[in-house]
Amino acid sequence: MGFFVLLASVICNSVEKKIYVNLNNTVPCVRLLNATHQIGCQSSLSGNVGVVHVLESEENLEWVLSSGPHPPYVVILDSPLFTRSVMMKLKNGSRRVAGIAVVAPNANPPEGFSPHTTCPNENTGVYSEDYDPIFAHCNITVWNPLGNGLSYEEFDFPIFSLKDDNETQVIRQCYLDHNRAANGTAPQYPLCAIELFSHMSAVTDTATCMRRNDINFSISPEIVCDPLGDYNVWASTRPLNNTAKGHKMWESVVIAAARLDSRSFFFDIAPGAESGVSGFITLLAAAHALRNATQQAPPNRTILYTLFQGETFDYIGSSRMVYDMQNNQFAVDLNNVHSFLEIGQVGLRSDSKLWLHSDQLSRKNTSVNDEKLIENLQSAAGRVGISVGEVGFSQPLPPSSFQRFLRAKPIPGVVIEDHQSAFTNRFYASMYDNAEYLNVSYPSNLTLEEQLEWVTDTAQALTEVATIVAQALYKQAGGQDVEARGITADPKMVARMLYSFLIRSNNSWFQQLHSSEPTLLVQYLLANLTGSTVNREGFCTRSTVRLSKALSPAFELRDYTSKEYSTWTESRWKPFKGRIFLLSLFSKADMLFSSGREPTNATY
Amino acid sequence: MNLERLPNEEKLTLCRKYYLGGFAFLPFLWLVNVVWFFREAFVKPAYTEQLQIKTYVKRSGLGLLLWVTVLTTWITIFQHFRAEWGAVGDYLSFTIPLGIP
Repeated sequence: MGFFVLLASVICNSVEKKIYVNLNNTVPCVRLLNATHQIGCQSSLSGNVGVVHVLESEENLEWVLSSGPHPPYVVILDSPLFTRSVMMKLKNGSRRVAGIAVVAPNANPPEGFSPHTTCPNENTGVYSEDYDPIFAHCNITVWNPLGNGLSYEEFDFPIFSLKDDNETQVIRQCYLDHNRAANGTAPQYPLCAIELFSHMSAVTDTATCMRRNDINFSISPEIVCDPLGDYNVWASTRPLNNTAKGHKMWESVVIAAARLDSRSFFFDIAPGAESGVSGFITLLAAAHALRNATQQAPPNRTILYTLFQGETFDYIGSSRMVYDMQNNQFAVDLNNVHSFLEIGQVGLRSDSKLWLHSDQLSRKNTSVNDEKLIENLQSAAGRVGISVGEVGFSQPLPPSSFQRFLRAKPIPGVVIEDHQSAFTNRFYASMYDNAEYLNVSYPSNLTLEEQLEWVTDTAQALTEVATIVAQALYKQAGGQDVEARGITADPKMVARMLYSFLIRSNNSWFQQLHSSEPTLLVQYLLANLTGSTVNREGFCTRSTVRLSKALSPAFELRDYTSKEYSTWTESRWKPFKGRIFLLSLFSKADMLFSSGREPTNATY
Repeated sequence: MNLERLPNEEKLTLCRKYYLGGFAFLPFLWLVNVVWFFREAFVKPAYTEQLQIKTYVKRSGLGLLLWVTVLTTWITIFQHFRAEWGAVGDYLSFTIPLGIP
């Protein structure tokens, strides 16, 4: 009996393989929720089935939205058509649209593309109606002018991303063979169809989904969403007693910050080369450069390196650290902070100029003195040979973790960027913000190991920024000028980090760190770069690197409708899948989706 | 159970038991009463106990109608407005559908 069951299942499987072609390299967009909205995509519980249509132009949308005889359609978009106007039209025509599949090109598009909003984190920064209303909501400077806001729209059909490879070619060929309208005649069954499954469990907003997580009085309690969060990585040049939380007498700290994260329209694709990687690699290289000087000739003040996670989603990491400092849950508190230096996007220095951004309102407060920091940065830049410009008073700070610190207390601080007003980054928070965009490319005749060690121009440029940052930090912490002159960042280290974070993390250098999870990788790397080796068997480093929880204070306070802190959560889901098959006139799926959509199409 | 074989008094006691039982928030007993004893009460030729059985069946029918109205109204309202009721709707539910409000 068991044998027959086994035989039946084997036979069924092979028939299934003859009908369906599974799509393997697909990435969906997922649903995210905050205090007031839900964004992202949703499919039905049994998957969305639609007839394949490869969109040829924006005018061709009319076939999908009104004239095509076999709705609903799944629209295959090439990247030039992945624009806001096409997507909004498809969103409005969602009765006839069952889903979208975007073909991700192998090379970046020539014009920019940013699915993020034009004013990132506008409600959780420091500029609000109470604090400097002129600068609130990007009134003066629009930071991300190419932003089309697609990542923050809500779609009620699934949107998947396909790589432009053989599988996608199969889909295109299937469309050309079966679905193309030839000379005005409508295509006949059987038609090429695609099923996309990305069902999201959470709905409405964070308060609703967190409440549903907690309900005890239900038959099958199920967690439907999780708050976004990870860990911040921090280290100090002098050991700080981490068990004694709160204010430390006589401790004066210079914070050097960068952000670790990024995002894109699709799930788990977040290369963030210019928006994140350029900044934190520079900070890591500066920390490495400062190792010898801070150990041999320690300056008066301690330098605190902080790498924040979750900054893209309303400053999760930095708001949590500020909250911990305010509530005596961190090794130091805000009164210990002397000044703040943040490294923003520094990978695309056109005409080799760096820009120093500061906040005009806090500088009007006489106790806040940015001059020293700016002077240190300028003198360091002069030594390295880079020109540095100070952004005038007419501009606010760009979106940066420093804004959360300013929200709590006026502190002198500077944010280093490669743009004077709007971002130079044309692919902010998109899947195209990758190694290719930063010009990290290697001659083709190198082996993988040689590529790891090859110093590209980008690496050289970032090394210069790292040297400036290191020297300025040392002077800002009270170090002597003589010592500062000798601090230089190591281009080979920067080159290795660029390769490992942007091209391949599975290389001989990273394998020594024994982790594949990005935050832990950064933690071990920072430990490796700032710590001292201890003579033990194996690989052992003593360092001051620690992790601090980066979960929004809104979840600690259980205030899920908070306007003050990030309330972002991500829905849970069942495993994604996509598959293509031929849809015939009499198939069950046809009955299921053609009934109730267009009465004239009920064909049974 | 075959009602044919029962003497009439026992039919009456049975009908009465089901009628009284239905008051304990058990409208299905009234439904059973109505269905089972309908023929006895209205179709069969008259016998002594039939009048009482008829009353019980009629009252069971009334009670059943009341319950059906109340339940239908409540179910319609709940299914329609549960999503709008937010927290209250969630606390009233045994299983909450995933992914839809």
